[in-house]
Amino acid sequence: MKAMIEVKGVSKSFGSQVVLKDVHFTVEPGKIVGLLGPNGAGKTTFIRILNGVIKADAGSISIMGLSPTNHGDEIRAISGIVTESAGLYHQMTGIENLEFFADLYGVSDKNQIPKLLTLFELDGHEQKPVGTYSTGMKKRLALCKALLHNPKILFLDEPTNGLDPDGIKMVLSYLKKYNEETGTTIIICSHVLHQLEPICDSFAFLEERTIIEQGSMSELEATYLTDVIVRIGTDFTPTLKTIVGYPCEHSSGEILVTLPSKEEISTVLRELLKNHQVFSVEIVNNDLESIYFKVRESINR
Amino acid sequence: MNKVMMKAIIKKDLRDIFRTKSLLTTIIIIPIVFSVVFPTVLIGSALLFDLEKVMGADMQKMIGMFLAETKNADVLLETTEQKIVYLFINYLLPSLFLLVPIITASVVAANSFVGEKERRTLESLLFSPVSIKTLFISKTLASFIPSFLVSFISFVLCGLIINGLGYQLFGEIIFPSSNWIALIACLSPMVIFMTVLLNIFISSRVKTYQEAQNIGGIIVLPVVGLIVGQASGLFLVGAQLTLLISAGIMVLNLVLLHRMTKLNDRHVLFENQIH
Repeated sequence: MKAMIEVKGVSKSFGSQVVLKDVHFTVEPGKIVGLLGPNGAGKTTFIRILNGVIKADAGSISIMGLSPTNHGDEIRAISGIVTESAGLYHQMTGIENLEFFADLYGVSDKNQIPKLLTLFELDGHEQKPVGTYSTGMKKRLALCKALLHNPKILFLDEPTNGLDPDGIKMVLSYLKKYNEETGTTIIICSHVLHQLEPICDSFAFLEERTIIEQGSMSELEATYLTDVIVRIGTDFTPTLKTIVGYPCEHSSGEILVTLPSKEEISTVLRELLKNHQVFSVEIVNNDLESIYFKVRESINR
Repeated sequence: MNKVMMKAIIKKDLRDIFRTKSLLTTIIIIPIVFSVVFPTVLIGSALLFDLEKVMGADMQKMIGMFLAETKNADVLLETTEQKIVYLFINYLLPSLFLLVPIITASVVAANSFVGEKERRTLESLLFSPVSIKTLFISKTLASFIPSFLVSFISFVLCGLIINGLGYQLFGEIIFPSSNWIALIACLSPMVIFMTVLLNIFISSRVKTYQEAQNIGGIIVLPVVGLIVGQASGLFLVGAQLTLLISAGIMVLNLVLLHRMTKLNDRHVLFENQIH
């Protein structure tokens, strides 16, 4: 499949400070990609370069065949963005903000604004000045703003910052649904890993000013999970610190077994079930956070 | 250039002016001081007091010299009061009046870019498909329109007061003279345009509204100089000179405009303004 976004060898410095160095990044159409990295890793700068508001010092970028440097306005016309600060006019009402941005993005469909206000549960608040909105409401209004023109690519820079748990759940589930329904490619920058895990198709790790790894969860697992740690809820109490030859630790009502691969889970369970009961089985080191630290470890080694 | 985008930005900026109390106060109070208070106090004094006695012979002689130098007193000036009011209205007040468009345009235009930056909304504008050219033209118009309207309304107010009160003194309508027509039709729009261009240019380069206003204040200095020159009789700005100065400012505006279109690319603006 032809890549929607293709970045090769992009570098950027501000004066003597290097912000991005030899970045390579690919996004397929219709995918949700999580751009992960610690604060100050260069995620925001990278998003700005992709949108053509900052010029890269070196490298090439193609977004649907367009270059952000030469076709910035075309790219910005098909992109929606939610920046960390939301970028809304506080002295204007919610509806005035959306009407203003609708004009800037050339939105002619009059039903689009009420539709989005309903979708993001902002009905009844549209006549209030944005300055009186809560952080969550501002984020939701910023999402309405970003979706006004039905963008082909959506850039979200820390979209869940300042949201309460309900707000986070609502925004993320909506994004997933929106992506499935419209096929919009979504790039989400975040450092809250567990939020992104259920909705992203693939992940890119930005560390030390460059993207050190990119891939789907299964690809990352295959590369970085050299062993599988399984937590098994059972009445078995090991006398030795092993089970069928694999290291095993015991704590109240459960054991932690370290295995060389997933396939060995069945072997351990078969052995256990001969004489004991098993109540639960869970792999504990294949979540995004564990993989993230493995990736960072492998680079810093 | 996209007209819908331009209209949207201008509408938003105008709305912003009316909702920002400090801005609105400035653009209401300044015109009232220069176009209502000043002429009322002067003409009122001329009507109420015997200025001839108050001033003394030396002062009257000086006023006589001033008037002789202007050579275009198209109104018959008999009394000292008439002479003083005529001099003030046609030679001193226009220079003071020029502060109305300058201050209004400075305040409105400085708010334009730096205000957006301080409220963190410039980022949203630069991330949208608005071209920098459309953005600059819209911002320029959004500052020019209210400034010109304010100065025109001030001119009308000023005229009503001068003619209303002055009729008792002169027995005829003395406003607007050719000096004033040249001022409101040529010099004022050119000065507004220059102030707006310089301020937007400064705003797009500095970090805070305060900084933009401080640098913008430089524009006021030449006008202060003009007033000092006027008062000491060093150079009396007649209508021809007003037109000449307008033409000079127009050339300067064209140069500024040319330089701005070359300098302001999106990347430079973004890197200077957004952090």
